[in-house]
Amino acid sequence: MKRYDLIVVGAGPAGLSAAAEAAAHGLGVAVFDENSRPGGQLFKQIHKFFGSKEHKAKIRGYDIGAGLLREAEGLGVKVYLNSPVTGMYLDREIVAETDGAVSHYRADAIVVATGASENMVAFDGWTLPGVMGAGAAQTMMNINRVRPGSRVLMLGSGNVGLVVGYQLLQAGCELAAVVDAAPRVGGYGVHAAKLARCGVPFFLSHTIVKAEGETRVTGVVIGRVDETWNIVPGTQKHFDADTICVAAGLSPSTRLLLMAGCEMYEPVPGGGRLPVCDEFTGKTSVQGIYAAGDVSGIEEASSAMIEGRAAGAAAAAELGYISGGELKARLDKLETALASLREGMFAPKNRGKVFVKTDEGYDISDSLLRNGYLADGEATKYPGVKSVAGIHPVIECTQNIPCNPCQDACPKGCIKVGTNIVSLPAVDEKAGCIGCGMCVASCSGQAVFLVNEDVGGGFATVTAPYEFLPVPQKGERGVALDRSGAPVCEAEIVDVRTSPSFDRTFLLTFRVPGEQCSRARFWRREVRRFGRD
Amino acid sequence: MVVINDRSRDLGPFMPADDDGLIICRCEEITKGEIRRAVHDGMFNLHEVRRFLRCGMGLCQGQTCGRLVRSIVARELGTPIAQIDEATARAPMRPIEMSVFAKEVEDV
Repeated sequence: MKRYDLIVVGAGPAGLSAAAEAAAHGLGVAVFDENSRPGGQLFKQIHKFFGSKEHKAKIRGYDIGAGLLREAEGLGVKVYLNSPVTGMYLDREIVAETDGAVSHYRADAIVVATGASENMVAFDGWTLPGVMGAGAAQTMMNINRVRPGSRVLMLGSGNVGLVVGYQLLQAGCELAAVVDAAPRVGGYGVHAAKLARCGVPFFLSHTIVKAEGETRVTGVVIGRVDETWNIVPGTQKHFDADTICVAAGLSPSTRLLLMAGCEMYEPVPGGGRLPVCDEFTGKTSVQGIYAAGDVSGIEEASSAMIEGRAAGAAAAAELGYISGGELKARLDKLETALASLREGMFAPKNRGKVFVKTDEGYDISDSLLRNGYLADGEATKYPGVKSVAGIHPVIECTQNIPCNPCQDACPKGCIKVGTNIVSLPAVDEKAGCIGCGMCVASCSGQAVFLVNEDVGGGFATVTAPYEFLPVPQKGERGVALDRSGAPVCEAEIVDVRTSPSFDRTFLLTFRVPGEQCSRARFWRREVRRFGRD
Repeated sequence: MVVINDRSRDLGPFMPADDDGLIICRCEEITKGEIRRAVHDGMFNLHEVRRFLRCGMGLCQGQTCGRLVRSIVARELGTPIAQIDEATARAPMRPIEMSVFAKEVEDV
């Protein structure tokens, strides 16, 4: 039987981080993953991550994944791919399928980082081809380069639904609607706003009544739900669609932990069992077994990477590779980083809570939560939106989320988030914006714009982030869209900028009549971009 | 606390519902009606339902339907869902060909 100091099950963000951390402390580490590529969900994440520099904010997921993999392999971690772990037994023995045979491996410590699987919702027609998990659609698009469909309806307005919805638009699909049984958008408002300004309608307090079609999905009927989650008669709406994506949450993949005899508990009845473990290092009730990442409770990939590091360090200490003092010093550092990610309105501890005001006392926009966009006139209530002469940033960031790259991006100090990472960014109108656009490109939520309210002749310019192909050309004419995706006026592209430091985000500057500069937030060619196939 | 496995409990008669034909376990094509009826036939936990109907024993090993079956069983029994144990985890956790399963490497 082959032995390692540490075996990690799952080569996602948590598993690779645990492996790299442990290997850096001198442990002999092997990682097993059932997929043909390492990285777990990271390589599907083509968007920029939230957080701070320490959390690799504003870096795209696949670049974070590539970096982690390089680090782990550079430290001598053995990565077994196409190698599903099929069982875990007494004394930290695992059985894995490798090269067409089953082999046994044993380690002094095991980190289980098996992630989570998507929840399904059983509605009439849910087994028709064309109904799939949002994560599955993301795998098709971003890993296999296959467009999942032409016209998609997204069920679920959490971050997975919103992020995948946007990526479907980027892949050239049409998004018929975002539907959620909850009365409010579940994910970040900035993610919802990205979809809304492309014209995607939101239907909150609605769910799918049925998927239509004989041999595949051809349409969807949704209906409004009452307080007891029953469909209100007469509220049905039909959509043409060939694809339905379900983003109804994730269930931790805990079966290996169950098999190993780890003590479990169920924090949310019906939500699935979780291991009883140290909330930071993931140490379970069984000696030498750790749980890291989504398997110990669903969070973001950024948190999973820190949990993985902590588990790797704890395993190193347990095996005597580092002292208790060294472990404590390492954990203190990691804990600060994790604690900041676990703050704000969307923190795990605040799940299910309804916020009507930000920490600073600003009202949370009801329109943002119900329709996915700030209503006209609402934006100016927030500290990131000021009316100033000359070019200046307009930051439509209105919820307390742990993210601050905009502050570091500005070379002139125009943007202040402060030391509390969840604070709303404020624009300092005296700081002298030079229009470099670094803040626009740095915002993972695409919520920063540059506005010049008067460029002469009664015109204004708006600079917005743009991540669609083909990229518009200078001089092209189109229409400016407001936050709801409604056309407001004609708009000519006067500048298109890109730079390695923008990391594939293009900055479109378009000219609009002066009175429209507080409404125009997106640009579209006159011809509809998304034709039906 | 409700004793889940009190076999003498009267669940009342099986009441057919409009969505009884809805497939819940895709791998084994088991419907909601079959699961509800199994509960009335005395399968009072997920292990029994699974052995009786094979739901959750197909290719995905219950990864898709496990949560759905659990909520249907809880509702049919009138029991809080937290009192319904999830199905036992057993090896092999992933679908594996018999030819591979039979080829065991003793020493790597």
